[in-house]
Amino acid sequence: MSGQKVLPALRAAGYVRHMLHAEDRLWVEKNCYVDVVIELLHALGLEPLAAMGFCAAVDFEGDNFTFFKPDHEELRQLYGVDFQEMNVWRPLLEHAQEHLGAGKFISTEANSFWLPDTSGTDYRRNHVKTTIIIADVDAGAKHLGYFHNAGYHELGGEDFDRTFRVGTEPDATVLPLFAEMVRVDRLTCRPGAALAAIALERLAVHASRRPTANPVRRWGARFAAELPQLQERGLPYYHAWAFATTRQLGASMELLAAHLRWLADARPSASLTTAADEFQRLSVGAKTFILKAARAVNSRKPLDASATFDEMALAWERGHEALASGVAALAS
Amino acid sequence: MSADTTDRIRRILKDHGRLSADATIIAADADLYQAGMTSHASVNVMLALEGEFEVEFPDQMLRRDVFESITAIGSAVSQLTGG
Repeated sequence: MSGQKVLPALRAAGYVRHMLHAEDRLWVEKNCYVDVVIELLHALGLEPLAAMGFCAAVDFEGDNFTFFKPDHEELRQLYGVDFQEMNVWRPLLEHAQEHLGAGKFISTEANSFWLPDTSGTDYRRNHVKTTIIIADVDAGAKHLGYFHNAGYHELGGEDFDRTFRVGTEPDATVLPLFAEMVRVDRLTCRPGAALAAIALERLAVHASRRPTANPVRRWGARFAAELPQLQERGLPYYHAWAFATTRQLGASMELLAAHLRWLADARPSASLTTAADEFQRLSVGAKTFILKAARAVNSRKPLDASATFDEMALAWERGHEALASGVAALAS
Repeated sequence: MSADTTDRIRRILKDHGRLSADATIIAADADLYQAGMTSHASVNVMLALEGEFEVEFPDQMLRRDVFESITAIGSAVSQLTGG
């Protein structure tokens, strides 16, 4: 039986990532969901930079920064790409065969333990929930092509069986993983100016939803109080904490800066460029902080990070002042 | 960079870098991130380097590119140790 593949030319070998995943980025991988959306849009010939304005609304939520995801309505507006939750009422492999055969992708939660592209972290080592987008499946050959993290990959054999639970008895206590169908039958490749016009309208909405109190200052206060507990729990706990906080802030601000620079190329604005510089500065600060805090946790020595947080908080304030000014000027 | 420094860096990469290539023979100028070192692993590499060479990377060295190759790491370590 031959397989189902949405994009016939797509291959893991020689796949070229989008620039947002280039090795010179501060945060090559952001979070599993936004990473696969970026690469899917890129593989479809679209410009994912247009959809990153939502990062302006990222907030500190106590034990997390916003796990930032692109707005689905915005993906429809910009590109005609439609994400809808899928009712996983039968084996995922059967859903994949049906929907890929009909030209749709499937975004699904998956276990990194069986994803060989994570050989540096979780493959055959840790059971960790992540998100992949299935683009190519061949049940007979046990072949899966999938977007994950910063790229496009392929797997087979036992990894295929375990990812799709092939050959395992049905178990009512194992709940299906969350999945979405991604329809691209109304795909629209807009010229840059048209894309920028929509992105600017959406950016105004996202900027209006920015946190009402500086999230970096609230995070700094929380860190100062929480450092002894982080030191007590050690590096594995710290890595999970840093992914939920430092990485989400740093990666979202780098994405926002890239979005604003892309927008300023189409609609020149000194304010948007200033905002991009400030958000990039904040992202650099987060990158430095993730290493400094790791040292403090590892050594169990005190760390006064107030100056680092002050710099990042100031960058957030200046960035949003410039962003509001730039959006208002371009809208008038 | 001395052979001893290079060997110590390679050993740390072997223990903490989780590279897909063999850290003991990988080219000194090879990109460690392209060789599979994740951000997560790079944190552990930095901590191990600080312990091994009894140094503390200053803030301006806490950058991704400082840890991108054996040569880059060796250069940073040499600056800090005066070696």
